[in-house]
Amino acid sequence: MFDISLVRHLPKDTKIPFLKVRLVAMVLSVLAIIASIFLFTTKNLNYGLDFKGGTVWEFHLDESPTDADLGAIRDLGPGLGMGELAIQTIGQSDKDKVQAIRLSVSKQPALEGDENDDKAQQVALTAIQAAVVEMYPEVAKTENTLSVQVLGTKVSGELKKKGIEAVLAALIMVLIYIWFRFEWQFGLGAVVALTHDVILTIGVFSFTALEFNLSIVAAILTIVGYSLNDTVVVYDRIRENLRKFKKKPLEQVLNMSINDTLSRTILTSLTTMLALLALYIWGGPGLNGFAFAMIWGVFVGTYSSIFVAAPILLMLGVNRKGPQK
Amino acid sequence: MLHFSRWKITLILGAIMLGLLFALPNVLSEKTREALPGFLPSQTLNLGLDLQGGAHLLLEVDLKDGVEKTLKSELAGMRAALREDRVSATLRIRDEAIFVTYKNAADAEKGVPIMRKQNVAVDANALGGGGKTLVIEKLSDLRYKVTVSKANIEYLSNRTIEQSIQVLRKRIDPSGTTEMTLAKEGAERILLQVPGAKNVDELKSVIDKTAKLGFHQVAVTDDVVLRLCVEDDQCPLGKVAYPQKNGGGYMMVFDREIVTGADLKSSSEGLHPQNNYPIVNFVYNATGARKFCDFTSKHVGEPFAVVLDGEIITAPNINGAICGGRGFIEGSFTMESAKELSLLLNAGALPAKLNIAEERTVGPELGADSINAGKVASMLGLVGVAIFMWLSYGLRFGTFANIALATNIVLIAGALSLLGATLTLPGIAGIILTIGMAVDANVLIFERIREETQNGRGPINAIDTGYRLSLAPILDANITTLIAALTLYFVGSGPIRGFAVTLSIGIVMSVFTAVVVARLMTATWLRHARPKKLPI
Repeated sequence: MFDISLVRHLPKDTKIPFLKVRLVAMVLSVLAIIASIFLFTTKNLNYGLDFKGGTVWEFHLDESPTDADLGAIRDLGPGLGMGELAIQTIGQSDKDKVQAIRLSVSKQPALEGDENDDKAQQVALTAIQAAVVEMYPEVAKTENTLSVQVLGTKVSGELKKKGIEAVLAALIMVLIYIWFRFEWQFGLGAVVALTHDVILTIGVFSFTALEFNLSIVAAILTIVGYSLNDTVVVYDRIRENLRKFKKKPLEQVLNMSINDTLSRTILTSLTTMLALLALYIWGGPGLNGFAFAMIWGVFVGTYSSIFVAAPILLMLGVNRKGPQK
Repeated sequence: MLHFSRWKITLILGAIMLGLLFALPNVLSEKTREALPGFLPSQTLNLGLDLQGGAHLLLEVDLKDGVEKTLKSELAGMRAALREDRVSATLRIRDEAIFVTYKNAADAEKGVPIMRKQNVAVDANALGGGGKTLVIEKLSDLRYKVTVSKANIEYLSNRTIEQSIQVLRKRIDPSGTTEMTLAKEGAERILLQVPGAKNVDELKSVIDKTAKLGFHQVAVTDDVVLRLCVEDDQCPLGKVAYPQKNGGGYMMVFDREIVTGADLKSSSEGLHPQNNYPIVNFVYNATGARKFCDFTSKHVGEPFAVVLDGEIITAPNINGAICGGRGFIEGSFTMESAKELSLLLNAGALPAKLNIAEERTVGPELGADSINAGKVASMLGLVGVAIFMWLSYGLRFGTFANIALATNIVLIAGALSLLGATLTLPGIAGIILTIGMAVDANVLIFERIREETQNGRGPINAIDTGYRLSLAPILDANITTLIAALTLYFVGSGPIRGFAVTLSIGIVMSVFTAVVVARLMTATWLRHARPKKLPI
């Protein structure tokens, strides 16, 4: 029978001493976490509109904009009392596709006599749209506007709060589940690994200054799910091997379990990466940040289930005498 | 693990067929869908606003306005009741409360029961909390503080929001044909979603206007009094000053309306009978007609002001009693603005001001681009993963995994259509991610089978053990991911929820397809081929 089945060529019965390098891995992880926290506190994140508020208007002219066009539109800001406008082009400049302009107006302070600034954002949007239409009348056509997003302090603040709550809630729920299914050492190990992944993802977004918006929060939660998926598979095997090899030292059991599940870990990471790469390359600008975060997350999540979640069990020790579920 | 009873097989195949059936309308053209017999499902995936284009507006209702209005009317009621019994007291509104100061102890003794008597809900059952509309606090022997009770604030807020929704519906969709969402969101917001909205500015201008219309008697005054009223907010009792439209300066009028927008039966745009410029025609209802007839017959020769949202749009002279129950407003309208005003008057005034707290508008072009990009990415992702699985596990097991994957996609589409769920841009991301992650369960199983084969088990034994031992990690791994996805659903908002939905459904379906569907295929193959050696 014609068959390829490349997995048959994977090394069988690997015995890579993962736990031997646990100190190196720990130093690496701790350094990366410190760096992430340092970046987050000094440089913070490049919060997108969802969390920062303000106005983003995407539109296009009848032809792709020249640098002069962009400069002229950018210079509208001070005249309207809005400060500096951020402007960039989006989309490739194919022959038949006009490049669009993404114009960001920072959040405006509340109007006099207004309690919140919602109205001020709408006023700013109207003003900037009128000013641009005066220069380029074609923009008035509704089909030339790609999208408009306007958020005031209140809603953006709520979204931020909700985002943090969502990540914390997911971590806690997951901890409870693992606790229920395994022993507490496993639950703690899993949550440390997950927190590690979340912090490093935030660190990468701080480092690259990529826009941090709602879909990145969704990505972080998915990373939590994915990384946990990985960790649980390793843990499950550890539990099984602990039962099978009652006399073997813990370090050996851990190492054996990681090796047992290694081919699965690699294959699943690869298929997920494949899908994510397709999303990153062809999924369009709206999903770019999400795909990037997930690719990073799959990488970190795979690393953490091997080099963080398992070594922690070694540090905490596992109860091998009592009844095991 | 490898034995399937006949009814189990029927059930599995039935579930897949059902999924196919529900997914099918999505790939049919609209014409074919309409031609389908009635018993077949014809519902397709709902596309979110970010994919089909449209306006998403989160409106915040200014509920303080409602409290203020309530206080004002309570104040008027109390003042009248106190005056009727000749109790002398001063009543003033400050910081969302009425402060009542009695002149002396005797007045207080007489006044407090009167105050308490006012404190009854019109509809005590609807209110709850003992049916008290107000909270009366004693500050000193002569001073009392009256605030609106919590239950009443809640009741008023709900009513205000419901009324606002009704008015908005009439304004945006007078014919009742537009497909849109208009619903209460949280305690003080209204979510308005209009798919494919062409002109968002028009939509916003309709929301922006309270459309509070009133005809007021014009007060005779002098410049000093007027300036004091406009600049220092010290107006003569019962009078207010409003600016005139088109910069005509301020004009003082009596606060009490002769008639209001509520006294109108209907209105329409039209042309002035003689001068041919746009006007707004209206018809009074019975009380409105009577009130206006009474007033105009008593005040011939005097001007009256038409005030719309705190602005005088016109102030004509009364040439004679107007008792026909009809009238028109002129005020340098264009045809469009006349049409808009008549629409607003027909829908009624908003009970409170609305602020746009969040706006997300997507043009149809961007939505179509997103769908195309999503299609391309998911097709390529799918092909990539399928080829990878074939390369890794060979034609036999690779095909099992890929059929499971394809079934998974069909079931996701079927489930989303059946639930009437909305597919959003992040939802597409969820599907693509599922494509990558769905094969995980099969990978787990196959790797376990390989391991067991290496440990010297025969094919049937290896496969059976592989499936059996993989079940726990598959369930644990997927339940934890499901927990994360469900958290996202309950805490997240808007399009992100779409992601949580597709991811959750994808997780459930991937377990089903890998653990049940692929196992059925493997078992069937095993029974017929009886292999000596497994091709993985």
